[in-house]
Amino acid sequence: MEEHGDYLFKFALVRLRDATKAEDMVQETFLAALKGGDRFTGRSAEKSWLAGILKHKILDYYRKAGRETSFTDLDFYSDEESDRFIQDGIFKGGWIHELGPMEWSPDPGTGLDSEAFWQTFRDCANKLPKNISTVFTMREVDGVESKEICRLLNISENNLWVMLHRARMALRRCLETNWFGKQT
Amino acid sequence: MRLLEALRTRWAVWVWNHTPNCAEMSRLTSLSFEQPHSLKLRLKMRLHYFICVWCERYARHLKFLHRVAPILPAKVEGVSHHELSEASKRRMAARLREERRP
Repeated sequence: MEEHGDYLFKFALVRLRDATKAEDMVQETFLAALKGGDRFTGRSAEKSWLAGILKHKILDYYRKAGRETSFTDLDFYSDEESDRFIQDGIFKGGWIHELGPMEWSPDPGTGLDSEAFWQTFRDCANKLPKNISTVFTMREVDGVESKEICRLLNISENNLWVMLHRARMALRRCLETNWFGKQT
Repeated sequence: MRLLEALRTRWAVWVWNHTPNCAEMSRLTSLSFEQPHSLKLRLKMRLHYFICVWCERYARHLKFLHRVAPILPAKVEGVSHHELSEASKRRMAARLREERRP
């Protein structure tokens, strides 16, 4: 626990954004590892093995949460982005040029080694409403298939797509405002 | 020169009238990560990029997010100062000892 406890806690915290729940998941992971220790073949590193158990615990938690509460959060950003599009006339629905996406400079790939960039990314992700952040993390960070997310969270594919669209839109905008817009 | 300008405007208006508008383009761009669009729709989106640098940038930005999001946890691990408290570690150790007891 001394060796991997903090790593697992951070792993859970990024996904759950709740310290108490993250702690519970870490404890459950160690308990499961204790019970199934004989299943550890040593083929993967101990850390990866524990992270794999934790990932399943988190998905189980989402499955239960999806059964008990509504995961759909469609109020978020329903109108906020609409102010960036032309409201009427023949170009209705077009970007208002001054508010449209700007050129990200320097090349976004060059910021990937910067600690400040990842702090900004994390802060932007933390600004997303929890349910929106959960579906974004499952889909884009952990690569869970859309259909699997819908099954786990008990939501329709259409709702998932809307939530992902809004998450991407909000993250893009936040990174532009707080990182790329500030780089010279 | 004026003729060229008029032709460019007509071309832009024609493309605008035959492709999804930018609000719809942003939704479709996100959806393309979930399911492939038909060839017809993909061609319409390509055509739209000819007249709209903002939608083309938007698509590039989403591709960037898609590419870097899986790295986020590993990077956050490096910049996050959140750790299990000593009290939590003691509590967990006690629980594990309890579980080990025959």
